[in-house]
Amino acid sequence: MRARPIVDRVLSVWGLLVIAFLFTPIAVIVVYSFNRGRLLASWEGFGFDAYAAALSNDDILSAVSVSVRAAAGAALIAVVLGTLSGYALARHPGGRIGRLVTALLALVLVTPEIVSGVALLPWFVSLGVDHDLTLFNSGWVRLVVAHSLFATAVVTFLVRARMQGMDSSLEEAAADLYTPPMRRFRLVTLPLLLPSVLAGALMAFTLSLDNTIISAFVQVSGSTPWPVYVFSAVRAGLRPELAAMSAVMLLLTLAALAAMALVLRRAGGSKEAVDALSGVR
Amino acid sequence: MSSDRRGPRAAWRAAPSGLLTTPALAWIALFFVAPVGLVFWYSLGRKPGLYQTHANDVLTLDRYREALGDTFLTSFAGTLRIGLAGTALCLAIGLPFAYWLAVKVRPHRRFVVLALVLVPFWTNFLIRTIGWQVVLSPEGFASHAMQSLGLIDTPFSMLFTRGAVLLGVVYNYLPMMILPLYVALDRVDGSLREASKDLGANRWRTALQVTLPLARPGIAAGLLLVFIPLMGDYVTAAVLGGARGNMVGQLVASQFQQAQNWALGSAMAVVLIVVIALTILATAAAGAACTWLLTHRRRRELAGIAEGSPA
Repeated sequence: MRARPIVDRVLSVWGLLVIAFLFTPIAVIVVYSFNRGRLLASWEGFGFDAYAAALSNDDILSAVSVSVRAAAGAALIAVVLGTLSGYALARHPGGRIGRLVTALLALVLVTPEIVSGVALLPWFVSLGVDHDLTLFNSGWVRLVVAHSLFATAVVTFLVRARMQGMDSSLEEAAADLYTPPMRRFRLVTLPLLLPSVLAGALMAFTLSLDNTIISAFVQVSGSTPWPVYVFSAVRAGLRPELAAMSAVMLLLTLAALAAMALVLRRAGGSKEAVDALSGVR
Repeated sequence: MSSDRRGPRAAWRAAPSGLLTTPALAWIALFFVAPVGLVFWYSLGRKPGLYQTHANDVLTLDRYREALGDTFLTSFAGTLRIGLAGTALCLAIGLPFAYWLAVKVRPHRRFVVLALVLVPFWTNFLIRTIGWQVVLSPEGFASHAMQSLGLIDTPFSMLFTRGAVLLGVVYNYLPMMILPLYVALDRVDGSLREASKDLGANRWRTALQVTLPLARPGIAAGLLLVFIPLMGDYVTAAVLGGARGNMVGQLVASQFQQAQNWALGSAMAVVLIVVIALTILATAAAGAACTWLLTHRRRRELAGIAEGSPA
């Protein structure tokens, strides 16, 4: 009791400092996207030149488009596989298969990216070149497959957690009324799962957009994704165009987040929206 | 009657369990288990010639001997040091923050703060790292500001040092620590803290003996979520550390991308996995030992009180 106000104040200051720390580089990138100079780090004056340059630079536009298309594919696969397995794991947790799936997905989550990257490169090469499955020579297919693995694990665990927290009586009622399994899933289970499915999809999408290391291994020249392009620019010299494009993408991500939060808020409450988006539930 | 009712339901409930996980299982087997297995297999092989990446005609452990050479070990020691220091710093920064967020911030504001923590999480991590490069660079604004304030007389030289790498990894992985800690602390029932206070424990004792032990799963999850990806990360180090940011991941990558020696690269990757697993096991054992010591001492203390009280 005695020390309360001081300790509390210290904790509050600490909290605000951490938030400031988290936002520092983001603010810097946004501010420097208005840099008119040729080099990102040396400020030459305020202007929109970098935005014009970024939006007319074919390499940048193609890298972003490769990334967005790969993210969409990976998110789709992760949502389908993850929702099915998350649902099954929550409703039928026991059994050897259930434990095997849980263990494998956990292993996927804890494998460092570099290991997945070095594992997938020879695998794709051997599938595509040695076994003539030319599908795997496509840069898009490689990125989608590579990014879908981690994302599937994330969606599975999000959906499982949501399902576990939910009473099965609604589904049982539908079953008692002889609703066929597919309709029951579509009409009862899926709406209940929606927040975690949406959150999982968004997470899969952003994780894919973010992925640098695995992408650097599996990419095919000619379809370089955005983070790999940025990483190569780090060595070649950073220009304000990169910051401008990043600011645009940040804005789009925030818009997507806000839209999703709105949907979730309508479905539940603001707490549920944040919980779902943060993967808490 | 009851078997009539249960009949169809039991039938559909039994069927999907294996069926629904099959697609994910097949996907993971094909694109995770098989390729990672291949890495173990390659690591036992060799690089036969200049234009071939690997061959497994002779099985040998020579690649491991090669992988454990001096350059690799030096780089490994550096990586492990950054990994351990970074994880410890994330915990030291994240724990008070998560405690503040879960316990002290008023519920209606908690929503806003949590959203603020999540925004960086949703921004490209490479871009955020580049943001730090701008901050730390000798021609950046921080350097100019400090020079004009007279705090330093030569341009700032923090970029491309180990300190910069440490800053970068702590920054990048901090949200991964905060989220599980927050979830765990949020689940700790407030009434337990009050009960502890009512029973005469002061705030430190309540924090150490009630709240923290209950948040243990969150601490473990946070440590894993930070340490494992951090050990494989070489991008942060390359952006902020330059030549000094040579992490093990970089060595592995160069075997695959430049040297085209898949056998040696695979052996290095396997060593990395083993070291990560051993570190986790050691930490888990240390954690278990600490818990045992604490509870053991407490039990003896409580037993002493119980013995003393009837008299």
